[in-house]
Formats: sequence, C-alpha cells, structure tokens
Amino acid sequence: MHNVWLIAKREYMERIKTKGFLIATILIPLLMGGGLFGVATMASKAKATSHIAVVVGSQPQLAEDIKKELENGKDSKMTVDVVPASTAHAVLDQRIANNQLDAYLVIVPATTVGERPTFDFTPRSTADIATSTTIEDALHRVLMREYLAGKGVSEPEAAALIEPVTLNVMEKNGKHGDSKASFYVAYILFLLMYMVVLLYGMNVARSIIEEKTSRVFEVLLATITPDELLAGKIIGVGGVGLTQVGIWLIAAGLLAAQMGMASGVSLSMAQAVFFAVYFALGYALYSSVAAALGAMTNSEQELQQLNMFMMIPLFFSLLMLQPIVTNPNSMLSRIVSQIPFCAPLLMNLRVSISMPQPWEIALSIGLIVVTIYAVLWVSSRIYRVGILMYGKKPNLPEILRWLKYS
Amino acid sequence: MPIVELEKIRKVYDTKVAVEGLSLTIEPGTMFGLLGPNGSGKTSTIRMMIGMTVPDSGTVRLFGKPFDRKALHRVGYLPEERGLYKKMKVIDQLVFLGQLHGLSETTARSRSLAWCERVEITEAIEKKTEELSKGMQQKIQFIAALLHEPELIVMDEPFSGLDPVNAELLQDTLIDLRKEGKAVLFSTHRMDQVEKMCDEIVLISRGKLVLSGSMREVKSSYERNRVHVVFSGDETFLRNAEVEEAKNYSGVAELKLHSEAGAQKVLAEAMARGTVIHRFEVKEPTLEEIFIERVRASFGDEEARGIVDA
Repeated sequence: MHNVWLIAKREYMERIKTKGFLIATILIPLLMGGGLFGVATMASKAKATSHIAVVVGSQPQLAEDIKKELENGKDSKMTVDVVPASTAHAVLDQRIANNQLDAYLVIVPATTVGERPTFDFTPRSTADIATSTTIEDALHRVLMREYLAGKGVSEPEAAALIEPVTLNVMEKNGKHGDSKASFYVAYILFLLMYMVVLLYGMNVARSIIEEKTSRVFEVLLATITPDELLAGKIIGVGGVGLTQVGIWLIAAGLLAAQMGMASGVSLSMAQAVFFAVYFALGYALYSSVAAALGAMTNSEQELQQLNMFMMIPLFFSLLMLQPIVTNPNSMLSRIVSQIPFCAPLLMNLRVSISMPQPWEIALSIGLIVVTIYAVLWVSSRIYRVGILMYGKKPNLPEILRWLKYS
Repeated sequence: MPIVELEKIRKVYDTKVAVEGLSLTIEPGTMFGLLGPNGSGKTSTIRMMIGMTVPDSGTVRLFGKPFDRKALHRVGYLPEERGLYKKMKVIDQLVFLGQLHGLSETTARSRSLAWCERVEITEAIEKKTEELSKGMQQKIQFIAALLHEPELIVMDEPFSGLDPVNAELLQDTLIDLRKEGKAVLFSTHRMDQVEKMCDEIVLISRGKLVLSGSMREVKSSYERNRVHVVFSGDETFLRNAEVEEAKNYSGVAELKLHSEAGAQKVLAEAMARGTVIHRFEVKEPTLEEIFIERVRASFGDEEARGIVDA
C-alpha cells in the first residue's frame, strides 16, 4: 500500500507541477465558456441583416407591409427595396451576382379571391436557411395581420394575438424552476465527465508508455509489483483529473454566485454526490482499460490505433444523450444506462434530469464495480507480461496467452 | 550462507529456450562475473534471480530462503536498459527510488547527497535528468541501485558507455562494496574488467552453463602455452614446429604453442638466428581467449564467428 501511495504521489506531483496542467486548467474553461457565451450571444442578438428586393405584384400595400416587417420586425433588420413588377428577373439575378443584393422575393397574387398569395424566393445561397426562415415568419405575421385587419380587429389586439405564449416550468415542489438551466447543468456535467475521462484515461496509457520507452519500469518492477504500479498510476493521474475538475467546478460556482445566476440552477446535493461517485467509477473503469492498452503498445502511434476501444462507448453515450434527455425513463434509457461502460455518463445524466429508481442506481453501480474488477484483473495480467515484452506488437492469441500466465 | 542459489532454472519464451538448467551459487563478499555472448540468457537469468519473471522449472533462493518479494529490499538492481524519468529532478528521482526501496525520505535524501559527492556529480543534483549527459545518467542509476545499502548488488552491463575515468570510478566503488562484505554480480562483455575484478565467473552460452569457478581455478585449468614476444630482426623463429598459431604485429607477436614446454625451444631458435629479444613472456591464455574458445566450441566454429564480439 505504501508503494501504491509513493507511485501515486510522484505521478500527481509531477503532473501538477507542469505548465501544461496550469494552462489546461485556465484555458479550457475560458475557451469553452467563451465559446458558449459567444454562441449564445450571437444567437440571441443576431438579426437577419440581408439586403432584399421585393417585387411588387398587384398589391403594393402588401409589399410595403412586408418591407416594414422585415426592416423593423421582431428578429430581422434587413434592408428592403421595393421594386416595380416590371423589373426583369435577369436584372435582379445580376445584382445578386454583383453582391448588391442577397435575395429577392416575388409576390405571386392568388388566382382565386380570398386565397393567400404565394411567394417566390430567390436567395444567393439556398443553404441560407436562417434568412428564409426569418422571411417565412415575417410573411406569416404580415398576412395574419392583414387578415385580422380585414375582419375588423384593431391593430393592438392583433399584435397581442400574434404574441407567443409564455410557458412557466414549475418543479414538483411548486418552486419556479428554470428548465433550460437545469438542462444545461446536466449537459455540462456530462461533457465535463466525457472530456476528463477521455483525457485522463489516455494519460494513464501515456504514462505507462512513457515508462516503457524510458525503461524506468524495469527499475520499479525490481521492488514493487505490477499491480501496485498500475494502482498507483490510476490513483495519481486520477487525482490530477479530480483536482482540475474540482478547480473548475468551484470557480464556476463562485462565478455563478457572483453573477446571481445560481438561483434558477438546481444542482442538488444528491446530484453533486452522484456526480462525484459516477465520475470516480467511470474514471477508474476507463483508466483500467487505458492501462491495458498502454501495456499492449509501445508508442503513442500504436496507442492511437487502439484508442477507438475507449472512444466507441463514449461516442455511443454521446448519441444516447438526446433520447435520454427527452425521455429519461423510457425502456431504452433504462437499458443503455445500465451498460457499465456507458453508465457513469448516462446514469449520472438521468440522475441530474429526473431521479431514477434507487434499485437502478444500485444496480448500475454494482455492474460498474464488477466490470472494473474484471478489467483490472485482465489489465494487470497484460501489464505484467506486456511490459517486459517490449519491442514487438502482440497479436490476439499472444494476449490471450498472457492472460493465462500469472 | 550463500546469498543467491539458482538450481537448474529453465525458462522458455514461446519456442526459444532462454535459459536451460542453469545452477549457480554466490557467496557473500564475492565479485561475481556473469559472462556470455549476446542473447545467451544473461538478462533472462538476472530477471529470474530478482523475481521479475518466474522460471518454468527449477528454484531460486535468495539469502538462504526460497524467493520472496520481501527479500528484494536487500537487492540493488541496475538494469541493462537504463531508464530515468526525464523531466524529474535528479534529487527527487533518487529520493523517490530510495523510498520505493523502503527508506524514509530524510535517509534517502542524505544518502543521495553523500553518494552524489562520492561519484562526483554534485553539480547535477538540482538538474532535470534530460539535461544530463548519458554517463551522468548512468551514475545516477548506479546510485539509485545502491541507496538502500543492499547486500546483493546485481548489475547488467554496468560499465557500458562510460569513459575510462568514470568506468574506473565505478569499478573502484564496486570493489569497495565487495570489501564491505556485499555480494556483487555483474554481467559484461569486457573481459579485461572481469579479469581485473572478479573472484568468480560463470560463462553461459545459448542458455547453458559452459564454464564456472573461481578466477584462479578457471585460469589454472588452462596450460601456460601462450607467449608474448617483443623482438627485432629475423622473424623465422615464429615458424618453429612448436608454434600452433602466431599473430605478428611487426615486432610484437602473440604465440599459441602446442605445449607449455615448447616455449624454451622457440626462444632457443630465436637466439640461434640472432633475433634480438626485448621481451619474452610465457603466460596462461587470457580470459578473452578462453571465452572465445568455449563459446565457439558451444556453437560450432562457423556459427560463432558472427556471435562472439567480446
């Protein structure tokens, strides 16, 4: 046990002291936070600003209304030119080609009385979905307003009717909750775990390879057992991961409290505890797998080829994110969140969205622990033999033979 | 009580037999040389001796008891493939390795400092390993193997890659440790070192023991049929019937005779022909010659040519 502690301590101290750790600890949240904030700001502030020509048909009033809506509407700030119907489409096409115009809209009057007119929209790029969606919305509002005005509804009344409804999401205890914030918390925890497990799991593999290439392990193995070395590495590298996540979470908590954002966010004590438990289990599981991969390979390149074994279950978990968020208690969610390699991520996600049955949590933890034990058993055997057999890449029958060898 | 007893150990890797029925005993206070050409099973033997691999059959006894990992605290090991943590400071590294061998942090630190002074690398203490020369790194590993004052010191090729000054420094250190009653085992290709330092030797080839015994026994079991001559003038005496093989390096000749008695006849012929003899020394074969001869015998002549590089 003393040896495990010594190995873990060395592994921890040497990693904490590096500049890389400091940079990652500061930069990753800055970049991620900055990125999220930037995207959110752009999404909320961005108004369509395209330059559009509207070709007047037989209804000049309609064209004027559309112009007004697009220029000063709810989420558009476009520049709109109303051009007479006689303008040839070729001229407008030419203006688009010269970058003077982004799109043009042709009003095609309805053939029968009382029908809505249709619209032909020619954008520079048909992939510009945002602009066409904005225009669609604007046209819808204009037509509805005209229709209501035709039925004698006053303008403020019509505006009130068109307004979207407000949906207040309440928690079970009657408190006013912010469902978006809770979702983001679950999502961020999920990504955090995904990233750290992948990053630090690979660090275990790398640290083993580093010892193999620098041949340090031969000195170490003269005094300690491969199991102790393996355990020390997993604990030491894991400690670094936990430290980093701890720093991030505390910083995020302080920041949120400072900005008064914590009120709507509900990360309960239970959620925090389960996050810690599932993080530790998930980390231990993936590091054991990584340790086996590290023991089997001799270089980073070889490791890259094998790390799909770690990526596949993580990607699968990422794919399952959406179905679980929309329906956390469906049969699918229940089954996939019991798969040991996915459970640390998915069961934790279910815990933070809607608390599953206690037996489900107990079962998933039990399954993970059994799997960790099995993987460790296999890893330490591969490690013991593989580490002394450097120089050539093992094939599957050889690995199977190693398992028998103790 | 012998420090190491190997009895008929055998190790097979897949289809290759690495060690075949090897037995040897190391007593306290001996300098033990483990010799053999490349790939002869030296490292495999050492690894089984310190429990890094388990023999397929045969027994390993350390300090008079069947092998037990606890005994490893009394063993210092320098592997053939040198390795240190590149980014770690020398002193931290030594303290870490000392602690793994069961020392307290303070003892490990004070002994590391004392050893650094003894092998003249005090200026390296605060540096990172990657900033040091290869020879210095080797000295650090040498220290790491000795920090916990082991009773058995096992070194795989300890002097390879060192300049003569440093090689001698480490040789003297090992000789001092032997005087303190420790058992030292080392493997090497350098026969001059073995001849100078070792009390006992074992020569293995293809995993099998070819020759073993004390240095004196081994050498005295060979005839004194070698002659070292320094001369000037007529060299026809080199073709005397008593001479089995002669290598003449213009004025300095190494002769191998059919028998010990032939030396006087060769000298007499040289005198008769008026050759000026500056030096004429009759001696036993060098260890290197014995080594090459025995290894060749174990392989068959043709095969050995590419393998023996001693």
